[in-house]
Amino acid sequence: MDRSRCKSCGSKSLTRDDVSGILVCSECGFVAELHDFQAHIGGISGPVGTFVRVGTSGTGTVLNYREKKVFEAQKLIDDLLLKLGLSSSRSEDVRDMVYRVTEGEFGMGEWFSVLIGACAYVVMRREIQSLPIAEVASVIGCDDYELGRMVVRVVDFLELRGEFPVYDIVVAYERAVRSFSGFSRLPRDKVETMRKQGMFLIQCAVKWFLTTGRRPLPMVAAVLVLVAKLNQIELEISDVSEELHAAVATSKRRYKELLEALVEVSRALPWGKDVTVKNVLKNAPFVIQYMEMKSMKKRGVKRKDSGVGQVDLGEVVSECLRKDEYDFDVTYLESESYYLEAKDKCDHQGPDVHQLDRIEISHECLALVYLKFLEERGSLICSGENANARDKRRTDFDFHASKDWWKGKSQLSKRLMLKEILEKDVGLDAMPPSFVNGRNANERRRQKIDAAKQRINRIMHPSASGLTDVCDSQTLSSSVHSKKKRRRSQVIDVDWDDFIIETLLLHQVKEEEIEKGHYNTLLDLYVFNSGAM
Amino acid sequence: MADQGLEGSQPVDLSKHPSGIVPTLQNIVSTVNLDCKLDLKAIALQARNAEYNPKRFAAVIMRIREPKTTALIFASGKMVCTGAKSEQQSKLAARKYARIIQKLGFPAKFKDFKIQNIVGSCDVKFPIRLEGLAYSHGAFSSYEPELFPGLIYRMKQPKIVLLIFVSGKIVLTGAKVREETYTAFENIYPVLTEFRKIQQ
Repeated sequence: MDRSRCKSCGSKSLTRDDVSGILVCSECGFVAELHDFQAHIGGISGPVGTFVRVGTSGTGTVLNYREKKVFEAQKLIDDLLLKLGLSSSRSEDVRDMVYRVTEGEFGMGEWFSVLIGACAYVVMRREIQSLPIAEVASVIGCDDYELGRMVVRVVDFLELRGEFPVYDIVVAYERAVRSFSGFSRLPRDKVETMRKQGMFLIQCAVKWFLTTGRRPLPMVAAVLVLVAKLNQIELEISDVSEELHAAVATSKRRYKELLEALVEVSRALPWGKDVTVKNVLKNAPFVIQYMEMKSMKKRGVKRKDSGVGQVDLGEVVSECLRKDEYDFDVTYLESESYYLEAKDKCDHQGPDVHQLDRIEISHECLALVYLKFLEERGSLICSGENANARDKRRTDFDFHASKDWWKGKSQLSKRLMLKEILEKDVGLDAMPPSFVNGRNANERRRQKIDAAKQRINRIMHPSASGLTDVCDSQTLSSSVHSKKKRRRSQVIDVDWDDFIIETLLLHQVKEEEIEKGHYNTLLDLYVFNSGAM
Repeated sequence: MADQGLEGSQPVDLSKHPSGIVPTLQNIVSTVNLDCKLDLKAIALQARNAEYNPKRFAAVIMRIREPKTTALIFASGKMVCTGAKSEQQSKLAARKYARIIQKLGFPAKFKDFKIQNIVGSCDVKFPIRLEGLAYSHGAFSSYEPELFPGLIYRMKQPKIVLLIFVSGKIVLTGAKVREETYTAFENIYPVLTEFRKIQQ
């Protein structure tokens, strides 16, 4: 279409309005639509552009790409290190490390901030200071693993592998307790006590394999919460784990595991049978005190002690049972009967070495714990402080009654070498949970193999096993499914696991191989053995 | 049954495996050159057991049931076969894939078959102090509990990577022949016993 003609009347008398610049037909007054506008950009008639160069200031001084890049990089380094809260000397080290890694070129783009984070992590780690990878990653806004890969690359590039210290969870805890926002208003000595208590507990956790092969921060969060509770500070585990960049569910699980371990330790105490995960927190001061004392002893002394004595134990227990001197709170009434039982046992059965071995407690330490308890309970009650409280049914344990439970004299409340931690005895030597699970799984498979062998045997030799049939099936179902025992024991319920085991057994696979549980591999190798040529 | 089957049923040869533990091979990766250009779309359309999504990955993914394996078939005619449990199975599977390609009308050959990686695993049946191992073998090992639960041990001779877990389970990878896996395990076993947690 000819653009110079009016769409309405077709005349060529289109003129441009002076004010609005719109094309108007001077014959009929028709206003041409906007898309009729002809742009005069480019081409010969178009306006001439002026090229502006970024970074020029005056003639001759041109800020080139490299200088700009370095400038921006330095700015980014400053910014990130400030966010990470590194001191100036360490910042200098980080800057130097980035310089060395990039050979003075620095860089731009997302990878560069990851590199800065990695260098900051490496610098801190080399100085045995904690800077959790999760925290750095959250500041940079990248993935933990991405940062981890960069850390490995930096370490390899600078050939630091040999002198790169192993990750230390104790350092991580120290940092967490010092920088935790919830403790900022607490007096310094209290935080210091909590630091020591936490270090003690965390080194125990290391000893009990609760930290090996697991993410450290959830355990740090769990210990922090436990220590805070012991010091009458109520913390939500979710808040703590969020601040520490730990997964909440994992932190809760670690907390539970820690309590379970304390319960195990408390088994050595005379009232240990009554301690459960639910009430272990009330007993925790005693348990920790016991652990502390035990850790201060040299290994081997314990055995001598327990060899000496049953009589002493009896004395201690009977001493503790002088009911006339004090009142137990309701919390302790339950356990009281147990002490009586213990006393009875001592009186009637005489020295029981096996029981003593099981208890594994030095009488000295037991007596100390008890005397302390007696003293403090007694004095508090006598002074009338708790006169009213005696009548009331109290559910909360009064931590003030035993405020001096923490001595902090054990070496475990200082940073120790792994070897030293392992040499200490804290009343419990646990196996790693994953190992225990693996062993249980093996045992379960072993039982299943035995059951399957019996089944096969019965089918192959029906006459021989005819008489024992009923009892077989009973033992079978009880061994295979001891948990969900059914009333109809005649019904043998087998699952896919059992069928696979049967198949493998029939193909003459070694039982030890089956016990490992690599069913797919074994099926491929022995059953569907198409690879044989 | 081939020697594969028999080996499992015989007692462990202690001269070959002084530790008394033989790592189980879990995966074999092999490559072969079919030596002809392939039309991946045509393969994907004709073969039932094939999937092809060029936006995601530039190869046809094909699976067979016996031996239960997966193959990646590239347009250049190169093929990667994974998932077999023994070297023979891997070779047989690769041959089967080549046959399938031939049947689809391509002049596929079977050139330069090579085992690229062997992955094995075993259980030493005692817990291992990973921290201790990392301390004393710092030059070879990397233990970063923040990132991965196992200790990564890069053995120099034979050049094998071992993943060592606290539960006593070990994964060995990077071998081209199974003997390398066995040697690596026999090398590491005394080290592991040094850091074992004595069971009470």
